[in-house]
Formats: sequence, C-alpha cells, structure tokens
Amino acid sequence: MNKQILIVLATLLVVSIVIVGCGGAAAPTSAPPTTAPQPTTAPQATTAPEPTTAPQATTAPQPTQAPAGEAAKLQLLGWSASDVENETLKQVVADWNASQKDFVASFDASPNYDQSLQTALAGGQPPDVFYIDSLKFPDFIKNDVLAVPPAGAIANPDDFYPSLREAFTANGTFYCPPKDFSTLALIYNKKMLDDAGVKVPTNWDELAAASKKLTDSGKGVYGMSLSADAARWVAFLYQAGGEVIGKDGKMNINTPEAKQALDFYTGMLVDGSAVTPDKVDSGWNGEAFGKEKVAMVVEGNWIVPFLKKDYPNVDFGIAELPAGPKGKATMAFTVCYGVPKNGANIAGSWKLVDALTNEAGMKKWTDLGLAMPTRKSLRDGWIAEFPDLKVFLDGADYSHPWQFAPGFTAVTDAINKGIQEIAAGQATSESVLKTVQSAGEDVLGK
Amino acid sequence: MAATHIAGQRRQELIAGYSFIAPALVILIVFLFIPMFFTLWMSFRDWGGITPPSFSRPVGLEWYQKLLFQDNIRRSEFFLAFKNTLYYAVGVVPTQTVLALMLAVVANSAILRFKGFFRTTFYFPSITSSVAIGLIFLWIYQTGGILNQTIKIFFPGYKPISWMNDPSGLIHNTLGLFGITIRTAPTWLTETNVLGLTLWQWISGPSVTMSALMMLVVWTTAGTMMLVFLAALQDIPRPLYEAASVDGASWWQQFWNITVPMLRPTIFFVVTLGLIGTFQVFDQMYVMTSGGPAGTTTSLAYLIYRAGFNDSQMGMASAISVLLFIIIFVMTIIQRRLLGDRAQS
Repeated sequence: MNKQILIVLATLLVVSIVIVGCGGAAAPTSAPPTTAPQPTTAPQATTAPEPTTAPQATTAPQPTQAPAGEAAKLQLLGWSASDVENETLKQVVADWNASQKDFVASFDASPNYDQSLQTALAGGQPPDVFYIDSLKFPDFIKNDVLAVPPAGAIANPDDFYPSLREAFTANGTFYCPPKDFSTLALIYNKKMLDDAGVKVPTNWDELAAASKKLTDSGKGVYGMSLSADAARWVAFLYQAGGEVIGKDGKMNINTPEAKQALDFYTGMLVDGSAVTPDKVDSGWNGEAFGKEKVAMVVEGNWIVPFLKKDYPNVDFGIAELPAGPKGKATMAFTVCYGVPKNGANIAGSWKLVDALTNEAGMKKWTDLGLAMPTRKSLRDGWIAEFPDLKVFLDGADYSHPWQFAPGFTAVTDAINKGIQEIAAGQATSESVLKTVQSAGEDVLGK
Repeated sequence: MAATHIAGQRRQELIAGYSFIAPALVILIVFLFIPMFFTLWMSFRDWGGITPPSFSRPVGLEWYQKLLFQDNIRRSEFFLAFKNTLYYAVGVVPTQTVLALMLAVVANSAILRFKGFFRTTFYFPSITSSVAIGLIFLWIYQTGGILNQTIKIFFPGYKPISWMNDPSGLIHNTLGLFGITIRTAPTWLTETNVLGLTLWQWISGPSVTMSALMMLVVWTTAGTMMLVFLAALQDIPRPLYEAASVDGASWWQQFWNITVPMLRPTIFFVVTLGLIGTFQVFDQMYVMTSGGPAGTTTSLAYLIYRAGFNDSQMGMASAISVLLFIIIFVMTIIQRRLLGDRAQS
C-alpha cells in the first residue's frame, strides 16, 4: 500500500519535473541541427556581446551544413500585412528555397507581432530573421540584440538611399538592409475635385480652401480625412520648418513652427472641413476615401493596391503633399530585415537577408508594386513599370525618416492623444505641445 | 503498536492527499507563483523585454518613484489610467449589481412564465466570447450604426454621437451645459496639478466612449451575477415571506427587509468579484478602442500591456502590475470594512 502510493507520488514528481523542464527548453519550433550556441541564458549574461557573432563572422563562407545532408530550417518572422503581401513574400521565400538546398526558410506573419517577437527574443530562441520598423530600431540597438553583419553580408550597401541606410545605422554600423519603404502623398478623388471645380492643392492655403469647398456636411461628404496620428502630422511639422529632436539631441517641439502645424492640422478637424475616419464609419483614411465620403487623404503607397482591389471604380490621382510655409516634406516609413545576435544559424540568416535585399531579390519583391525598392539602382526600372506611383518614389528625396529615439512610442502616443483632445475641444495646442515636449524630455533624458 | 499503526495510516493519508493535489499545486506554482514573484523582482529592474531577463539591470525603486512621485509623462499616464479605471469601476460595479439583483428577482418570481427562457437569455452574454461581443458592439456603436439610427427614429433632431471616438467626459459635458468649459473654468481648476493631472482632468468623469464600454460590460456580466443571486434567493426560507405577509408586509417591505438582508453575504461576494473584475478590465479596450480616444479608455491593465509590449518597458509594466495588485487589495479591504463585517453576521 505504502509502496504503491510512493510510486504514484514519484511518478507525479517526475512528470511534473519533465513538464516544467520542457516549458523552459523546447519552446518554439525550429531547432536547427547546427550547434546552437546558447545552452541557457545565464552564461550569455556574463559574456555579453561578442562570442556568438565573432566566430560566425570569420567562418561565414562555409555554411553550417546539416550532418545528414538535410537542409537547415530558418524562420522569417514578420507582421501580417494584406493577404496579397503575405502571399507574395511567401512566394519569394519559396523561390529562394528552391534555388539552393542548404536552407529551408519559412515566412511567418504574426498578427501580434510585438508580442511574438518580444517573447521569442526574451526566451532566447529568436527567429532567424525578423522585421524591424524604423521607429523601433533604436530600441533594438539600445538593448543590443542585433548581430553585426559580417563584411560582405549586405551586398553593395552604398546602393541604398542614404536616408534609409542611415535609419538603420547606429554607431557607424549599418545593421540591417531596408526591405522596402513607403512615403506619404496626397491621394485625391479626380471626379469629386472636378465636380467642385477644385485644382489639386500645392500648398497649405490651397489645401484648406479646397477642403472647405469640397465639404458638404449635409450629404456627409468632407474635403479630407485626417487621422489623429503623429505619423501624418509630423509631415506637416516638417513642412512648417519645425523639428522633433533638435541638432543638440534635445527635445524641441514646443516651438512656434510646431504650433502653426498643429493649429493647421487640427483647425481643419475643428472647422469641419476634415473629419477623422471614424466619423464617416471607416476604420482608416483609405476606407473613407474608397467610400467617397472624403475627397482627399494623406496616405502612403499601400493605399494603391487597396483601392484597386476593394474600390476599383474610384478614379484617384496622386500628388505630392502640399508644401508648407517652409517647403516640401514627407515621411518615409521603412522596415529592415534584422538578424538577432544569439540566432541559431546566423550565417544562414544573412544568406536569406541577402537573397531578399540584393538587386535581384529586391527587384522580384518590389516589381509586384506593393512596396518601393530601397536601392537607387532599381529606381528607373521601377518607375518605368509603375509610372503613376512615381510621386511616392520621388518623395525619397525630401522625406524624413519615421524614427526618433529609444522609447519614443510614449511621445508619439502623446501626440496622437493631443490631436484627439484638440479636435474634441478638450485641450489647446499650447497645452498639448507642452505635454509632448516634457514627454520627449523624459524619454530622452533617461 | 496500535499508536504507530494509526500514525502510519495518517502518514499514508497525508501522502495520498498530497499526491492528489500535486498536479494542481505544480500548475499553480509554475503558472501563478513563479510569474508573481518574477513580476515583483522585475519591477525593481530595467528590462526592455527583448533580451533574456538576465540582461536586465537593477534600478531599485526607480519605477515606483517615476510612477508615483516624480512629475513626468509616466506618472501622468499611470494616473490617467487609474482615473479611467476608477470611473469605470464606480460606474460598472453598482449598476451591474443592482441590475443582476433585479433580473434575479424577476427570474425567480412565482408569476413569471417561461422562466427557463428568461434565465437563459439573461445569462447568454456571459458565455459568449468577449472578443466576439466587442466586435459586434463596435459595429452597433458606429456613427452610422444601429444605435444612432434607432435613436434618430425617436428623436429626429438628434446629432449622431461617434460613440467609439468621443473623448469628452460626462461630467465635463454636464458642466458644459452650464457654460463651464476648459476655457471658462476657474484657473485653480485648470492649473492645479495633482499627481500628474490637473484638477479639471480629474473631474472629467468617464468619457463618452468609456461609457459605451461600460454599458456593454454591464450587459455581459449582469447575467453571471444574476446566476449567483438566483442561487442565493432560492436559499431564503419561504416561511420568512409567509410570516411577513401574515403580518401584512407589502412586496416592497418584504424585499427590503427580508430579501436584501438575507442576500448580504451574496452582495458582498458579487461586489468583490465585480470590483476585482473591473480593475483588471482589458479585453474590451484591447479589441474595441486600443485605449483611445485620447487615452480615455486606457485601463490600468491595458497600460501594463502597452508599457510591456509597445514601449518595451517590461520593468515599468511589472511595477504597474504590482501597484495594480496593491490597489485591488486595498479596495477589497475597504469594501470589506464597509460591507463585509455585517455580511459575516
């Protein structure tokens, strides 16, 4: 009797220990047959940066061949964009898998990207290659999680647009090649503008006048849809000659220029010539535009395939963003392919990154018209293929990168919040800029 | 000899008992106690959440100092979320308790026919996924959605409210009717800063969007609470009511002097559960509003999520979690003092 119970107890103990043990060790899927250099997390803490990347850098040329001639698995983690985009990237990855036999890469599009990536990185089992948004890049540098590319891993780095290359450069190292990029432009409804006898606006005054003229609130039609979004407003800030972080590295947003930009942006929302998309029952600007509830929106090139697919009957034009008091400006949004420095198969990771971003690989991806090539050498060919999207690509010349400092989401959140408060009559531009300024000082000061 | 035999049997029973609870215990330790102590430990460290935890560095009480004592954005965010959550709890807990009690009394009454049908109907929202309900309500609450259109049928002059995007507070709006707005309010109200928010911000009341979420939550949870009340109602001895009616007590007197006092322990239970639930509210914000508009639906639990996964500040997120725990703990103790002592008797 006693013995039986002891056996039961012992079994339970063993089972529970196994369960607990497994929870720690065998978390994600891809456990490549290569000798993963991180047994536990503890030793890495003491010998922080070098050991994993340095040997890899020297031994890069000979890929870590799997023993039984079996291909090593690579995981590419990204967020899920549109179905078209996900499927297309999967196809590009499949083509690469077919072209060589050392590696089998798979693209996983995560709907909760930040969580997926964060837990994978914190758990010490990172994906082999992952997307890094330019806004978040400084956070990754601050936390020192990225592998330094070995010499030659990024083919022809000078070919990338300098502003995009700089967005992923820290301490003199170009960490990860930009996958593609997007810029903002003014999308307008040709028919609505013609009917109202309005010309495509080229500066702020014309934009405000056009928006007023196009508004017919009785019919529920408005000149513009403007989302309460820092990523749109900051373009207006630059057009007014303002800045977010000054040259001295200090927060500098509580300025007359910023007030001018904020008053202009929220002024249209307050006087009713522009609405936030939800006011016309839309999830975002593109939907409001497609439903022909608004005549103009400030959006990036991602709107083009969306409109063509979901609203094929809307005849739209694309123009540069109207110039502000201090000239033209737009935002550039870009994403790079990062490689974690404690990755299980860093050599393979770099091969995949190269295949996706070298001239041939990028051409294959960007020729589908969803995103723009970040390489100057591909520019002319791409414009020849997509002449109506030239405005977006030309934006690269006068764009500002969507990137500030580590932890800056707290500041962009404060801007979003402030725009909503002003539009609802809950705050003034002075008080909002004061709040944003002190939020930025907190973030930069740390 | 006999004594050792009994002792041996006791030991055997002990072993059997422990082996039976072992699976639950292991699960509790792995998924509850270890994370709890890990959170507490992490709240004293700076951890970005994108490196293994051992890379974090100790910062002592810095997060608590930032969140509670230093004037900065983090403190404003924290107390804004605290204010939102407080208004939310104050609105939801009494409403859902009273509503649940009413529903339970109705569903329990002798004259009602189709009791089973009503019970099922009232309980149905509680067993539906909160994400699905959130999405359906998102659609109902649209500016051109069913709710606004229905109101418009009854009040033709009604100007549609954008339920999901109106950050104005209910108390602010009420004050606005008397001509008191942020521009006309006295400066001691708009300028005095208490814990990172101005007095004017503190007295905002729940925003219109938050109120919309509150209505939805009351609707979903009242059913669960009704079930608890229903069980308790059936435990009240019938003779009490019979004696009361012999003495000539009206229905209302019976309800007030018999039903409510007999239900006191249940009310305590329902209010406690409600309070804990409301202070931990997350799903509706996550699915429907992302904490917007203007941060007025950011609850403490949603702020924790934002801090951890959007701002990559796991240390701060942990500190807020610990503070949330303390807040709920204190709230429950206060409420126990107010209601609980009498509930014991």
